[in-house]
Amino acid sequence: MYQRFSRDSWRDPPIRQISVGIAAAAARKSPLMTITVRTEREGDRARLVPVGTFDVTHAPAVAQAVAQVPPDLEGCRSIDLDLTHLDRIDGAGAVLLARFLDRLDVDGDRTRIVADRNPEAARLITLYRQKRAESAPAPTRAMGLLATIGAVAADLPARVTDTLDFTGRCIAALPKIVTSPRSVDWHSLPRLVQEIGADALPVTSSANLLVGVIIGFLGVSQLGRFGAVVYVPELVVVAHFRELGPLVTAIVVAGRSGAGLASEIATMKVSEEIDALRSMKFDPLLWLVVPRCLALVLVVPLLTWVGDALALLGGLLATVAITDLTPRAYTLATIDAITASHFFGGLVKSPFLALAIGLIACAQGLATQGGAAAVGARTTTAVVLAIFGVIVINSLFTLLYVAVGV
Amino acid sequence: MMPASRPHIIVEDLRIGWGTRVLMEHVTFGIERGTTFAILGGSGCGKSSLLRYLIGLEQPMAGRIDIDGVGQPHLYQGMPAFGVLFQSGALFSSMTLAENLALPLTTWTPIRGATVRDLVQAKLELVGLGPFAEHLPGEISGGMKKRAGIARAMMLEPDLLFFDEPSAGLDPISAVELDELINTLSRDLGITIVIVTHELPSIFLVAHDCIVLDKIAKGIVAQGDPRALREESTIPFVHNFFTRSSPGASASPGR
Repeated sequence: MYQRFSRDSWRDPPIRQISVGIAAAAARKSPLMTITVRTEREGDRARLVPVGTFDVTHAPAVAQAVAQVPPDLEGCRSIDLDLTHLDRIDGAGAVLLARFLDRLDVDGDRTRIVADRNPEAARLITLYRQKRAESAPAPTRAMGLLATIGAVAADLPARVTDTLDFTGRCIAALPKIVTSPRSVDWHSLPRLVQEIGADALPVTSSANLLVGVIIGFLGVSQLGRFGAVVYVPELVVVAHFRELGPLVTAIVVAGRSGAGLASEIATMKVSEEIDALRSMKFDPLLWLVVPRCLALVLVVPLLTWVGDALALLGGLLATVAITDLTPRAYTLATIDAITASHFFGGLVKSPFLALAIGLIACAQGLATQGGAAAVGARTTTAVVLAIFGVIVINSLFTLLYVAVGV
Repeated sequence: MMPASRPHIIVEDLRIGWGTRVLMEHVTFGIERGTTFAILGGSGCGKSSLLRYLIGLEQPMAGRIDIDGVGQPHLYQGMPAFGVLFQSGALFSSMTLAENLALPLTTWTPIRGATVRDLVQAKLELVGLGPFAEHLPGEISGGMKKRAGIARAMMLEPDLLFFDEPSAGLDPISAVELDELINTLSRDLGITIVIVTHELPSIFLVAHDCIVLDKIAKGIVAQGDPRALREESTIPFVHNFFTRSSPGASASPGR
């Protein structure tokens, strides 16, 4: 008879599955004998004889054997556990037997270990019974659904005040930059400018270029319906310079440097570096937060400016590729469209967006408590809040511009 | 201890290091089954590095490591034959102590449900952490983390445990408690224990045998019972190490 194999069955299964399989097989059919606890009864005396291998790989079978001991031991005044027929016992087997004896002894001490032939096993079981007796019961910490909702709700005001508190302390720390400039880590500034600015240039530039292409295509397809393709350059300038340039750049920086800064400071916090700084009378707000925020404020407008230029290029490529407009005509129309209000209206926003990213990332980092998992959670929160904050602040600026009529 | 039996761990002419930099060479020693063996030496001499090779995290440049007659342990293959306590305990911070301890059981054995809970709780009680099953590692002290690390290392009932600086950073009372726990494991469970340490009181309390490593000699400078080495060794470094004196300094506190 042929047996058909699917292609997958030829491949080796993962290693873990194999060894678990071996352990399971070993537990199912022990080579020597099955694992049981034999019960012999004479009047009000009983004798329990565990037979087989009582170790961690056979633990399921051991647990089953122990559970199968008939409950008719009630009424026995003395129960002997005879360990002479044990093949092998380790900590796991000893624990299961110890818990079994604990259950039998609930109505008063009546069990006894017969240890003449196997003193090691007896000592092991006794060790685990002693440790149980010495140990206090564990308090339960499980929380119901309602309690969880309540705890989250009760936590909300504290979160808001924490944010306000952090902002306030940052503002209060500002004068100290001037009065004691040595409390700021100025040496890290070039490194931060490099990491946040120069290293981010490829990704922010290409994002802006692609957004320029998208606006170009969108303009051609929509304005083209009215024969107004000549207005596409102006659309690209207005849309990108005023809104999308600062926004796209800030979102990319928030995702990239926001995560980097938050996880760096969070790791410093959990490895007690922040505590070390404070013990040496450094204010982490000045030493860490100021240079990071400053680097962002310096660098993000520059990235935005480069991005603006590349978006114009993207718009040009898109328009020239699918319409009759010449590159020269497009360029001239673009130069006409650029006004100071469009150009600076966008760039003015960038430092504020950058500051928001820096403050949110540093605040989340400094608020970290716990271990590796807390670092991950805080970094995620920092990126989410930074991107959301960037969008909100950008919208507020747009509202302001509309109200003022710029 | 049966001297005729094969040693639990054999290390032969081991050379370790990175790239062209040799950290240690000609390292040869054996560890008898059921004994407690200490790897000693000053800070930065490569004690912890040697441990990383013994447990199979790194490949040696030359020489042989043999545990239980099956060679250097392979990572990711088969159920682990030994437990390791790392310096900080290395508990997974996103899991409770009970979940940390249950992980090796549920991964490597078919044990599930109430049996897992019983085994985990018993191990926690063994190291005196019975009431802390539902705590996160961030909520307990450094000494408790180490004890929880020992409990996790023992979940699969290994006959071999590696401890990396178990009493470093502990107060003297916690350190003695830990040493007593190590003695309990060795005596009552018959486990072979390999300890990397430089805590003298702990060495004399628990170790049957030891090697002393030296940074300058790039290898073993002394080997044997630590109590005997303290009394008899004529090598200056070993003598200073065990009598806790630095060359040319008095042992009394300065004023």
